[in-house]
Amino acid sequence: MTRTPLRPLARILAARREGENPDAIERANLAARHEAARDASRERAEGRLLVLGIVFLCAFSMVGVRMAALAGSDPVEPRAAASGAQIVAARADITDRNGRILATNLTTHSLYAQPPHMIEPEKAARELAKVFPDLDEADLLKRFTGERKFLWIKKRISPEQQQQVFDIGEPGLLFGPREMRLYPNGAVASHVLGGAGYGREGVNSAELIGVAGVEKALDEELRDPGRGDVPLQLSIDLTVQAAVERVLEGGMRLMNAKGAAAILMDAHTGEIVSLASLPDFDPNDRPRPATEGDQAESPLFNRAVQGVYELGSTFKIFAAAQGIDQRLVSQSTWIETEGPLKWGTHRINDLRDHGPALTVQDVIVKSSNIGTARIAMMIGPERQQNFLRDLGFFKPTSVELIEAPGARPLLPEKWSEIHTMTVSYGHGLSASPMHLASAYATLLNGGYKVTPTLLKRDRFERGPRVISENTSKQARDLLRRVVTDGTAAAFGEVAGYRVAGKTGTADKPKPEGGYYEDKVIATFASVFPADDPKYILVVTLDEPVDTTGKKPRRTADRTAVPVAAEVIRRAAPLLGLAPDASAGVTLARN
Amino acid sequence: MTYLVNQVRTVPTGLRKVLFVNWPIALLLTAVACVGFLMLTSVAGGEVDRWAERQMKVFAVGFLLMLAVAMVPIWFWRSISGLAYLFAFGMLIVVETSGVVRMGAQRWVDLGVTVFQPSELMKITLVMALAAYYDWLPLQKTSRPLWVIPPVLLTLVPTALVLKQPDLGTAILLLAGGGLVMFCAGVSWWYFVAVIAGGLGLIYAVFASRGTDWQLIKDYQFRRIDTFLDPSSDPLGAGYNITQSKIALGSGGWTGKGFMQGTQSRLNFLPEKHTDFIFTTLAEEFGMVGGMSLLVLYGLIVFFCVLSASQNKDRFGALLTLGIAATLFLFFAVNMSMVMGLAPVVGVPLPLVSFGGTAMLVLLAAFGLVQSAHVHRPMTR
Repeated sequence: MTRTPLRPLARILAARREGENPDAIERANLAARHEAARDASRERAEGRLLVLGIVFLCAFSMVGVRMAALAGSDPVEPRAAASGAQIVAARADITDRNGRILATNLTTHSLYAQPPHMIEPEKAARELAKVFPDLDEADLLKRFTGERKFLWIKKRISPEQQQQVFDIGEPGLLFGPREMRLYPNGAVASHVLGGAGYGREGVNSAELIGVAGVEKALDEELRDPGRGDVPLQLSIDLTVQAAVERVLEGGMRLMNAKGAAAILMDAHTGEIVSLASLPDFDPNDRPRPATEGDQAESPLFNRAVQGVYELGSTFKIFAAAQGIDQRLVSQSTWIETEGPLKWGTHRINDLRDHGPALTVQDVIVKSSNIGTARIAMMIGPERQQNFLRDLGFFKPTSVELIEAPGARPLLPEKWSEIHTMTVSYGHGLSASPMHLASAYATLLNGGYKVTPTLLKRDRFERGPRVISENTSKQARDLLRRVVTDGTAAAFGEVAGYRVAGKTGTADKPKPEGGYYEDKVIATFASVFPADDPKYILVVTLDEPVDTTGKKPRRTADRTAVPVAAEVIRRAAPLLGLAPDASAGVTLARN
Repeated sequence: MTYLVNQVRTVPTGLRKVLFVNWPIALLLTAVACVGFLMLTSVAGGEVDRWAERQMKVFAVGFLLMLAVAMVPIWFWRSISGLAYLFAFGMLIVVETSGVVRMGAQRWVDLGVTVFQPSELMKITLVMALAAYYDWLPLQKTSRPLWVIPPVLLTLVPTALVLKQPDLGTAILLLAGGGLVMFCAGVSWWYFVAVIAGGLGLIYAVFASRGTDWQLIKDYQFRRIDTFLDPSSDPLGAGYNITQSKIALGSGGWTGKGFMQGTQSRLNFLPEKHTDFIFTTLAEEFGMVGGMSLLVLYGLIVFFCVLSASQNKDRFGALLTLGIAATLFLFFAVNMSMVMGLAPVVGVPLPLVSFGGTAMLVLLAAFGLVQSAHVHRPMTR
């Protein structure tokens, strides 16, 4: 925009020449400029108003047209729905990794009464008491003839019962549809699934909400109305799960244990193929939580995830692997095993005397507490803690169960040198079998951090590296030697699957302090096949006793190991692993 | 060129002011409120004392309040605009820190005798503050970037606070209301074009990212947006209100079923039937004719406001009138679109008709400001 100057020189000079006041020119120009600005602003304001008016008009006509369209639409009579329909009953199915149903919904009916609409309350009460023997006729009649306008009779009835009630012909007795959660496999995978119950209840539907396990941990996701019919797919394999539970239950009985847990995990992805905890329960008829006694003895207690135990010698491989990884020792380094090892007032002993010294390899194979403690002292508390933290022992596991965040590992309060020694052979630090399985997976899969999950992973990203490929391989070799020559040699080998693993037997702590002499937790943590690690299996037995010998035997090599071997024997073929013929498979003679 | 210099002599004084009140607007407001009383009686099944009586009392108080506000010179209101804004803003903060939680949202302040919803007040004080700002700002600076920032902040900060309560409906009204005042004040087109283009671009980016590696939001969030945009995909859950209200509108037909004959609303199919969804009752009982009549009443109010503003030489008064008219317009436009399934359900009441004390009082006080601007407008030379 070109601006006219307020005092144009030519006109000023002309004005001066004429003897006029030049300021008059400036005033006139200024006034003109203001006038122009005001005109421009008024024009703009009017333009804006016009635009606004058009927008308003468009909105008005849109609303009007819509109203006309709706008014002109066929009057649909109101559906027979009432306030209860606001309750969203939808809950997605849960399937195993192959799409087989683990949890689904079934439509049943509830029975309620509206006494004002009743014609013959006496007859209705009499007939109802016949259909449902647990209902009392006199009580029903009292409720039917009372003040109430609405009352529940049964929250869930079967189709046969519904027909019988229908046949009474009483208009004041009404049915409301409601979904119910059904677990067609019964107790299989019960600790994974947890269970579901009713939340807000209305006449026409009731909210299904998860109360435990995956059902509760992923409740919001399962109930998301936008989810549609997409089921939640777990990493569990139903076939393997059933086999593992069967074997574990037999093993638990044979070994006279009062509880057992098993975790079978993909060593690379952390997907849990099978998770079992015994005793278990039927999620269709979930028992009430125990109000007295030890919760850890309840069938609802998930030993694999909630149970926090001292896991004993299974921890020794961590010290050995870290020593090798830090190049403090090699497999053939000699370690002093002269007992007992005294540290202040503490004395560390081995189960039996291993002589003055063992190689690192033999410390693991023969499971020497003293040897492991000495390796741990070379590593030192600081590095030991960092390594165990990397392996996930300092936090609850992130597995998708509502019980998992509560299972916090118990660590020594002050991590002094004596703790470094005891922790190295699995005492003074308590963790769940799930922690152990993830740590073994991380240690043995080539050294990449594994995060356990119950959800099937479509895409998989490797975690950060924790130890070197070479250390991981050496750790597997050591564990393989345990099964071929060491503590697990008698029962650990499964022909063709090259199992590698470590036993662990820990005395159970007494509630009042100290340890029981005759109660142990026996654990076998293993990987197979050793040269190409695919799966991690952890089996834990609670208070097992093998009574077949002369003396009762409780150590893991006699209890947990044979059970674990049987689990592998059964599960490995189901997992699609072919036995390796070159590795000692006995061929049947034709 | 302030207002006082303009021509104060033409402004009526004393009780004569009452004659200069914009009576068409006052009558139209009363008419709309009467529709409200009728509907509230109907949804209560004929009981006047359930909701309608209280609503009448509030309206009576509100009407007197409107006249009182109208008698006070507009320049007084301009001078306290900033203070009023700060007061409402402070109340919003109080809600944030110690508000009363009702129906899952923290929107109310407990004043001892009654509970109060500061976000209602904010809608009006925001318009006042923006109008006063543009009245103060020299015209040629209107579109300078530096001078656009303060009104944008004045709008966005309370919007963010309200959004956090959470109250999506009021947040949208605040944002749109502030934007409209700025538009009327003559802020350059390009700002609006840029903001709208930016917003559309962002929405497009979010949706384009769906299913790709750089997905911006989570899958379940997408599914919620889907249900939000298309409630019919979930007719018994999020879409329940809409489904039922559409049925009501359809069953009302052209002339409706007659007063108190509506089944949908009387039989409790509709939640919120006396507040956000009251329009359905009207449409069901008086049909298309009834609904259109209400729409025309609202339209006339907006028309008279725009007329008053266009004749008003006082920039503050004109902007204030336009802003309040725009707020009213947004209110019922959003509410009706929501009820008719044109827009997602965001929880905006139908002004003067829905049951609700704060909203009614605040709206009538706002129209008091409109009246004050009208009474005290500088007349043509």
